[in-house]
Amino acid sequence: MLSMTGRTRARAGIGLRAPHVDEILATRPDIPWLEVHAENYMGGGPALRRLEAFRRDYPISLHGVGLSLGSAEGLDLTHLDRLRALADRLEPCLASEHLAWSVSDGAYLNHLLPLPYTEEALDVVADNLGHAQDRLGRRLLVENPSRYLRFLDSPIPEAEFLAELARRTGCGLLCDVNNLFVSAANVGIEPLDYLDRLPAGAVGEIHLAGHGENDADGVSVLIDDHGSRVRPAVWDLYEAALARFGPVPTLIEWDTDLPDLAVLREEAAVADRRLGAPRDGRHHALAG
Amino acid sequence: MPSLAELQRGLRAALLGGDAAAAVAAVAPDRLPPMARLAIYRHHVQTSLTAVLEDTYPVVCRLVDARFFAYAADTYIRSEPPAEPRLFAYGAGFADFLAGFPPCRALPYLPDVARLEWALHAAYHAPAVDAPAAPALAAALAALGGDDTPRLVFTVDPSVRYLASPYPVDRIWHANQPGADPEVSVGLDTGPVHLEVRRARDEAVFRGVPAGEWTLRARLAEGRTLEGASAEALAADAGLDLGAALGALFTEGLLVDFTLTPAREETHPC
Repeated sequence: MLSMTGRTRARAGIGLRAPHVDEILATRPDIPWLEVHAENYMGGGPALRRLEAFRRDYPISLHGVGLSLGSAEGLDLTHLDRLRALADRLEPCLASEHLAWSVSDGAYLNHLLPLPYTEEALDVVADNLGHAQDRLGRRLLVENPSRYLRFLDSPIPEAEFLAELARRTGCGLLCDVNNLFVSAANVGIEPLDYLDRLPAGAVGEIHLAGHGENDADGVSVLIDDHGSRVRPAVWDLYEAALARFGPVPTLIEWDTDLPDLAVLREEAAVADRRLGAPRDGRHHALAG
Repeated sequence: MPSLAELQRGLRAALLGGDAAAAVAAVAPDRLPPMARLAIYRHHVQTSLTAVLEDTYPVVCRLVDARFFAYAADTYIRSEPPAEPRLFAYGAGFADFLAGFPPCRALPYLPDVARLEWALHAAYHAPAVDAPAAPALAAALAALGGDDTPRLVFTVDPSVRYLASPYPVDRIWHANQPGADPEVSVGLDTGPVHLEVRRARDEAVFRGVPAGEWTLRARLAEGRTLEGASAEALAADAGLDLGAALGALFTEGLLVDFTLTPAREETHPC
């Protein structure tokens, strides 16, 4: 299988979305790797069989959105086993989930909901994550969420919470640079300081996407809608992340108002050029 | 401070339109009040799940208009949120919900239209099976003793669904497809219909089946014995050609496997 991190240099892939499937299967464009949402392939219909047709030509990264690593009530073991069966079948090059929760009292709320960063939450997520990695027999990359609120009782900075999770469970980290930008604006995080606090060696993937801006009673709120090109300020933060972490496989995500495949490939090409650019040392100047 | 489990229950309530007090108390009021920050999450939960229902029930959505659909969906989501993260599994209960939703009383056919749309959706996502070729299955059946035939129970292609309605939901469905002639009107008294839904070549399709044949197929799919299903089919249509109806099950590839129910216990003679 094509390595994304070993001797071949890290490349930029794109998130596979249903409207692009036929075109990719028909034209087999030069895309270094594809990422899919795990839950979309957990039925018995044609979706999984078609994905397996991709699997022969493209490395696949498996991105879970429903495991709810932050649920105090523990993991849904049925769902965990579905994820294991899918991962065993696809042999993904990367597997990732989120620092978030979405299940409470048997309801799946279809959102990556925020956690308070407390010692209790750290124990809960570390337990769930350890269990998941054991059951999957794989290391998971854990992604920082987009945030729209701050809890009153949340004493641990998010980057330190992630660093401690990596230390306790051996998990890797997925640094979503757009999420970091959105959270920084919405709940007051210093993004460069945040990047410095993450354990650079644990970061195994970067996500990039576009975001929108809403006006809530005269207050600007950034919305992580994955509905446009990566914004210039997020590209700048990406440069800072690359300077800090080195070249890490990078994904272009797009979900709302999905454009032609060509637009996603253009965005990936921009990321790919930045990934391949010579760069020295960690405190590389933030590109303008 | 609440435990994590308490905090999550509080947020769950707030996001599903219930009591938001516990969630509000936990959120920092910086720049925006907590309720406004929670509303960002609630908006996403409602709109994303409504979009899932719109995708599964486009004809229902068209029949009631998008705004009313969003209102019905909001009520449904609050009372029956998804039970698991596979979103294609969400919405199975929407037809029953509509049947009991007072604002829909004037549209008595709406729940059956929803049932048809769910059957199509479920057929598309049903597990694939490697069906044996009809001759192989027929040969295995032929090897049985004739006395066993009434006790046969078939396994039917898992994508297959049967539904019957007093309303012409098939014509309503066709008249509400993109590009359908807007002038076509469907008389509500042109039912009843007996429909078979299944996945064929990666597409979910449906067709009308005569009542006797439909009864045979539907009962077999429910796991009734061949004897029981045949009796019901003949009760529905005394003129049914049972041999031809059974033969069609093979040629259409509907049957996947068979088992025998245990023979009836002999009653004690005294």
